[in-house]
Amino acid sequence: MENADRKILDGLKEEKTRNLAFQTLVKTYQERLYWHIRKIVLNHDDADDVLQNTFVKVWRNLETFREESGLYTWLYRIATNESLTFINSTKKRSIIPMNDASEFLLNNMVSDEFFEGDEIQLKLQEAILTLPEKQRIVFNLKYFEEMKYEAMSEILETSVGALKASFHHAVKKIEEHLKTRD
Amino acid sequence: MNTEMKELEKIAPELSKIKRESPFRVPENYFDDFSTRLQAKLDAEPIAVPVKKNNIIRYLKPAIGLAAGFALVFSLAYWPLKTLTPNQTAESDVQEIDVTDMLFASAVEGIDVNSFFELLEKPEGNERLSDEDLASYMNTNVSEYEIYTQSANQ
Repeated sequence: MENADRKILDGLKEEKTRNLAFQTLVKTYQERLYWHIRKIVLNHDDADDVLQNTFVKVWRNLETFREESGLYTWLYRIATNESLTFINSTKKRSIIPMNDASEFLLNNMVSDEFFEGDEIQLKLQEAILTLPEKQRIVFNLKYFEEMKYEAMSEILETSVGALKASFHHAVKKIEEHLKTRD
Repeated sequence: MNTEMKELEKIAPELSKIKRESPFRVPENYFDDFSTRLQAKLDAEPIAVPVKKNNIIRYLKPAIGLAAGFALVFSLAYWPLKTLTPNQTAESDVQEIDVTDMLFASAVEGIDVNSFFELLEKPEGNERLSDEDLASYMNTNVSEYEIYTQSANQ
């Protein structure tokens, strides 16, 4: 565990220093977690909501963090779960029946004023949205964040072998999608 | 270029052509203001401060719950029974009388009522009964009416 994380965790244990340590935790991880969430939910306002919910959950569950995994891993896991919960709740709330949320997410992304991708970027996002949710997360973490499989394995609680296979399949599907749309 | 990138270029040439830049942006000062907004949200919600609970209470909780459950079941079963069937419960109370009391009761049962009152009239008698013994005898063998009539005859 990194020294900075160790300091945060020590601060969180004491009632006097808890608030300050939590603020440090937020400042340290807000940006990384935001981009992780944003790539899953695609829209800024939704990403903002999910990020807030993530930190609220972190604050409420500080007691349950057993330090078996790194702080970074724990935070990413909560952020991932919160993002997936958000997508599932969107599916449930939708009046139109949705087999998957990809169409909703794509429309939501395109209508977002904070999306500034060009045509090729839009095509890539379309292709990524054709993937199953977990595969999409694996692809984003590897392709954009260049996260190591070992770290990813802890966050997603999946074996390194399975993650490699998942990324390989994801890349092939995206490539296929990009070719057919040309 | 690392092995992974070479591999990617080989299996996905179209994907490799796309620059790995984020098409997303955030409002100005978003990350500067985030913690303030988060704090406002945390303050607005009635969040329990994550303080460790007392260990003893945590361990005793199941036992206390079990005891409370028993007490509830007992009161639900016992009180209605006592209220609805007072005679039966009275009988069961009698059964709980001490063995000594039962022996005494059976002994005094053998005494004739008149001889008992005669006995009371003789203060020089060898046997002296305590108030408690008298009360017990009266309760067991003599009705209030009989006491009244005997007293009136005196």
